[in-house]
Amino acid sequence: MKVKEVLHNVVLLDRNGRKILATKSRYAPHYGEKKYGEFREWMASRSKLAALILKEYVPEIKEDWKILYLGAASGTTVSHFADIVEKGVIFAVEYSAKPFSKFLELAMERKNIIPILANALQPWKYSGIVDKVDMIYQDVAHPEQVEIFERNADFFLKKRGEGLIMVKARSIDSTAEPKEVFTRVKQRLKSKFRVLAVIDLEPYHKDHVAIHIQR
Amino acid sequence: MSEYRLWFGIVKNGKITPSDDFKKSFQNCENAEPLPFSPSEVGIKHFGSLDAYFSALRKVAIDVVKKIIEHELKREDRYAVLLLKSLDELNETINLLEEKLRDLEEVKVSEVTESFRDRIAELKRLRRDVEKEIEAIVSKIAPNLTEIVGAVIAARLLEKAGSLKRLAEMPASAIQLLGAEKSLYKALSRMKKGKPAKFPKHGVIFQHPFVRTLPKAKRGKMARFMAAKLAIAARLDYFSGELNEELAEAVRKRYEQLRR
Repeated sequence: MKVKEVLHNVVLLDRNGRKILATKSRYAPHYGEKKYGEFREWMASRSKLAALILKEYVPEIKEDWKILYLGAASGTTVSHFADIVEKGVIFAVEYSAKPFSKFLELAMERKNIIPILANALQPWKYSGIVDKVDMIYQDVAHPEQVEIFERNADFFLKKRGEGLIMVKARSIDSTAEPKEVFTRVKQRLKSKFRVLAVIDLEPYHKDHVAIHIQR
Repeated sequence: MSEYRLWFGIVKNGKITPSDDFKKSFQNCENAEPLPFSPSEVGIKHFGSLDAYFSALRKVAIDVVKKIIEHELKREDRYAVLLLKSLDELNETINLLEEKLRDLEEVKVSEVTESFRDRIAELKRLRRDVEKEIEAIVSKIAPNLTEIVGAVIAARLLEKAGSLKRLAEMPASAIQLLGAEKSLYKALSRMKKGKPAKFPKHGVIFQHPFVRTLPKAKRGKMARFMAAKLAIAARLDYFSGELNEELAEAVRKRYEQLRR
């Protein structure tokens, strides 16, 4: 088994020609993913960040970064994020209680996750909890997702801090062409941030792009 | 002027007044404007070190989430709604299976056919148990709704609204049309296009005999009145939980009036 590190604790395993993305983790599987020795498989079909990395776009996330994660859901992606920023902190916000009960198991296991059950449209409600962060990661599938991102960036994103926004065309406007939606979102983000890259997540996630920005 | 609410207390002019209940202050640390500093920068002074700060924050955050999840997920109205959904599935399954059983029996009565019949009878017993449980729960958590429309329709309203809280926050006009969303939006879109449109008068509450048995022209009146009383009932059920018999009485009177 060949191991190639692409980011802190993130590796590409080569198992007889099959490429597998994984994170180095001393914890047990969280959502039924396979473990190869000390590595937890990171499935691109389950996590948009994994898809982004497999599309060979690797955002330079440092191991001591503070992350604000919007739309934590049951914690699939967060579990790998927590492997990466092992010396940092993840403030994980989720609105819906149901998937968060699964998330709670993860938060109790890891030392670097602060779970917050709140509406991401109202960042002022958790402004006394969340620090200024190095990155805001957003995966919320909400028609107002750009507005949500901007509000949270106003409150919490450091100067020169970065943002990763997973845009789902279908949940912003189900009638418009995905391409149009992406252009609109990009234009809007451009007025406030530096857009570093726009990456299509095909074939792992249909009608999704990842937008990488910097303040 | 410069007063900031943090999860562990209030900072005023650089001085920390720690809260005596972190769980409470955690849920009440709203600041209209972004803070000019990170909570951890101040917290490090109070907790001694960054490690101590984050481990305290993590503990409080987990406790709060646990409490909220417990409150949200273990509610009885959720239980009733989930039971109702299972009941719908059961009904469908029983109907389908019975149909197949009849076909089978026409061709051949075998041992397998017999055990098929037994299993269906078992499912029917399960259905009765589920119905009873729904009645027990709904009449407990929503006595006023149950008094007006009966447990099954009350449960159906809860299901459509999502929860007792949501139902209590609904205007009567919305309750009147719960379950008629499809025809409502059809009518709205026809109206937008300038075509003649028929607006629905009732959704779930049509199932109630008081609405169903009236002549068509009077059903709208009855549905409107019933929905108005249901809105009051839902609020009573959510906020006080005490039974007010006048509501159901008023609905019955209105029905008598309209029937004539």
